[in-house]
Amino acid sequence: MENIALQATGITKYFHDPVTFPVLKQINIEVKRGEFVSIVGKSGCGKSTLLYILSTMDRDYEGTLEINGKMATGCSLNELAYIRNSSIGFVFQFHYLLPDFSCLKNVMIPGLRLGKLSPKEVEHNAYEKLKMFGVEDLALKQSSKLSGGQQQRVAIARALINDPAIIMGDEPTGNLDSKNTRIVFDLFQQLTKEYHQTIITVTHDDDFAHKSDRIIEMADGEIVR
Amino acid sequence: MPYLASLTDFLLSTLYFLLTTFDSRLTTYDLRLNTMKISVNTEIALTYLSSRKKQTIVASMGVMFGISMFIFMQSLMKGTNDYFEKSSFSSTAHIRLYSENKVADAHMLKDFLKDSSVKILTNPKQLKQSQGLNNPYGIIRNIKKNPQVTYVTPQVTAMVIYSSGSVTLNGTVAGVSIDEEDKMFDVQTNMVTGNLHDLNRVNNSILIGKGIADKLSLHVGDNITVRAGIGSPMIMRVIGIFATTVKQIDETKSYANIVQAQNLLGKDRSYVTDIKINIANYNDAPKVARELETITGYKAEDWVQSNEQLKAAFKIRAIILNSVIGVILLVAGFGIYNILNMTIYEKIKEIAILKATGFSGKSVISIFLQQAIYIGLIGAVVGIIFGFGITLMVSRIYIGAGTLKYLPMSFYVPHYVEAVCFGVITTIAAGYFPARKASKVDPVTIIRG
Repeated sequence: MENIALQATGITKYFHDPVTFPVLKQINIEVKRGEFVSIVGKSGCGKSTLLYILSTMDRDYEGTLEINGKMATGCSLNELAYIRNSSIGFVFQFHYLLPDFSCLKNVMIPGLRLGKLSPKEVEHNAYEKLKMFGVEDLALKQSSKLSGGQQQRVAIARALINDPAIIMGDEPTGNLDSKNTRIVFDLFQQLTKEYHQTIITVTHDDDFAHKSDRIIEMADGEIVR
Repeated sequence: MPYLASLTDFLLSTLYFLLTTFDSRLTTYDLRLNTMKISVNTEIALTYLSSRKKQTIVASMGVMFGISMFIFMQSLMKGTNDYFEKSSFSSTAHIRLYSENKVADAHMLKDFLKDSSVKILTNPKQLKQSQGLNNPYGIIRNIKKNPQVTYVTPQVTAMVIYSSGSVTLNGTVAGVSIDEEDKMFDVQTNMVTGNLHDLNRVNNSILIGKGIADKLSLHVGDNITVRAGIGSPMIMRVIGIFATTVKQIDETKSYANIVQAQNLLGKDRSYVTDIKINIANYNDAPKVARELETITGYKAEDWVQSNEQLKAAFKIRAIILNSVIGVILLVAGFGIYNILNMTIYEKIKEIAILKATGFSGKSVISIFLQQAIYIGLIGAVVGIIFGFGITLMVSRIYIGAGTLKYLPMSFYVPHYVEAVCFGVITTIAAGYFPARKASKVDPVTIIRG
């Protein structure tokens, strides 16, 4: 049990609009620590929905979710916020930075929220993360002035700031060219191999998926492979 | 300690905000906020405020107007009330002790018919009491023992007929000790010509109201014939003329030495009709008056009873002004509510991201409520300055009616404190609802679109 990062049992979710129908049917997933998992499937198969449940943001589901051996199902909103802050880094399909802040601040904010390190240390770490993605030169630029690819890399850096046990990505490389996609992939691989961080991504990119440790293929709300 | 920390937090962040407001080139990093202990919520709140300066300024201006109007209105109200109170005390003592006619009762019958029969008095009439007080100087000594009493002075009031040539005029002569009268009522400020202290120096002297002087065309140094109801006429010399703001007083009232007034009425030196009393805090007058009534047995009339219309006017003014202030603050509150609501609609994606990266609902409330509070505080600070400025400016408006030269305005510190409290409470109330709405944003629905 020690090296299980995430365990989801019997996840079922319904959409109620326009009619009630199940999007996810009895999904069981177990992800080991340090594993690099890609979730693939056609549009509308429920893979993003599943990811949002796994990330604790969506609480409207049946079944149970354990993160780092801790039961997340039934936790209060504040507890879930803390879990997301400390153990989950999330990369969105579109970059989603806070446009009023500089890139550095964007990366720092989750770290400052966690408050485990002093602002100075958080700033230092944020610089390190930006360097990993080659965007440290843009650190002091306002994030809204960056190109989409640059923003995406900053967003990934932000997901890593608290050294979360699990990094989740909803098409994290969707806006990146092949060169940057490779950089991100190599980095993800490095994170799993060297730091035993777990990565769960939803992707349409078959290349990306095939290079990862494990592929979970979904169709019609069920895991088919 | 946590309070101290949040106070420094607040001061630093206000400084930061003001700096960035006036110099948009400054960013968070120029100020090295990272080394300061500002919580991340505060930092986000301030960044939002300073990235939307125009809206922040408009919202703060709403609060500013509310607060400055509050201060202005309160200052005007208190100034006016103080003025009217003071001017009413320029002719009325806080408490006046006098002998009042009583309704006849059956105690005399009891004295004569000492039996157990029941005495019934039908159709009782008012009994004429002596106008004078018994043992007035003993009463004065007694009253002076009360620690709240500051001034006590005896007075002989005489109804008189003034005449000069063939013209006559009804009025009253107040026989007073002019020095004490001046201390209590500041007669000096009402003097038009002459020296009021001549009343002590010149024999048979009189100080008359301006209305009397005009109607009988008298000047300082002229003679006037004064006759009390039953006494013999006396020729007195006008040594001064005074004018109050009340025409009726100016046309009837005159001052004479107390001994002159006693002579006028043909009474002895112990004849005193009124005792006028001032106390330390005039708001206690009704209470003290009741005490004095019990001690002396005479009627003690406090200024509230004799100036009921004044009290009514105070109350009406208070209602009018408070409702105006209330409306202003309400409008300012709605301004803040609207602006924050709009901010939340615009920032809904960012709120979702903050929540996704681990900000709890509480943190989100804190971020948006802080924005409201900062708007309120900026408005309060500027509003205080602005309110003080208006008050100062208006206090220079020349009125020049009677003794009133300038518009009476009061500079009363509690008004400023109240204004800030009201302003901040309004903004917190107006900010809370949008903030709570922001905290309820569901990140999944927003991010998935």
